Amino acid sequence: MSFLQQLKVLIVDDTSTSRMLIRDGLEQLGIRNIIHAADGEQALKMMMSTPAHLIISDFNMPKLDGLQLLQAIRSYKPTAATPFIILTGKADATVLARGRALGLNNYLMKPVDMDALKRAIEGVVGKLR
Amino acid sequence: MGTLATSNHIIQGEYRVSNDPDVALTTLLGSCVAACIWDPVLHVGGMNHFLLPGDNEQQIRDSERFGVHLMELLVNALFRQGASRQRLVAKLFGGANLNTQLADIGARNGEFAQRFLRNEDIRVIGESLGGDRARKLQFWPASGRARQMLLPKDVAPTEPRKTSPIDLAGSGAVELF
Repeated sequence: MSFLQQLKVLIVDDTSTSRMLIRDGLEQLGIRNIIHAADGEQALKMMMSTPAHLIISDFNMPKLDGLQLLQAIRSYKPTAATPFIILTGKADATVLARGRALGLNNYLMKPVDMDALKRAIEGVVGKLR
Repeated sequence: MGTLATSNHIIQGEYRVSNDPDVALTTLLGSCVAACIWDPVLHVGGMNHFLLPGDNEQQIRDSERFGVHLMELLVNALFRQGASRQRLVAKLFGGANLNTQLADIGARNGEFAQRFLRNEDIRVIGESLGGDRARKLQFWPASGRARQMLLPKDVAPTEPRKTSPIDLAGSGAVELF
């Protein structure tokens, strides 16, 4: 199996239309192994049972927001090193500084540009093809 | 990009929420669509105003991403006010086809909004979409009451719009506050 076929990506977003958009974008990049969570709690449960290689998460969500999810992922040993990209509506400097301190790998502004998404993914997992 | 409106008059690319019973949000719609969404128990609601232009598949896809973003901004702002996703209801307005010579962007805008709300399980309890006349819309976000006035035929709203990365018709656009 090629790297792309193996790469498992978890999309976390409370808006199902947004999850579908990101999924479409990932599929265009050749990524096939995609799972979804509608909030941070669900994402954590999924990462504990069927961990993904990469997490792409919305920031603004009920229950756990993107940074709280990141913090939980980083503090759980089996998932602590999983690359984590946040999607956010505005680049708030305080939020981004907190993200960096928690080990955020990258962030993207919504609405997400698919080329930027590709570059961000390649930045954390290497060239896609 | 989607912007929080600075007045109660919402222009393209903006959104605003309020729980003030005395506030009426207003807008002027041609082929644009305004989604009015509120929580009838908490008496908080809001409106956005978007246009999804595009002649080819790529442009349409880009502009739909912007539309999703603007819908999310509105819904997230309602959540921040304490609104519950299960209680949210919506009314849709606009999406007219003012110039029958051109592609029916209005219809696509309306269909996009209906699809988004269906995906998100937000019930649409009223809509006035399509037709060939522009609309003047008032929406009271605390109560969900809405009132529209159809403008005479051939009157197209000429309003400033927020420039966006996909604002294909943006030449000469002015921002007014």
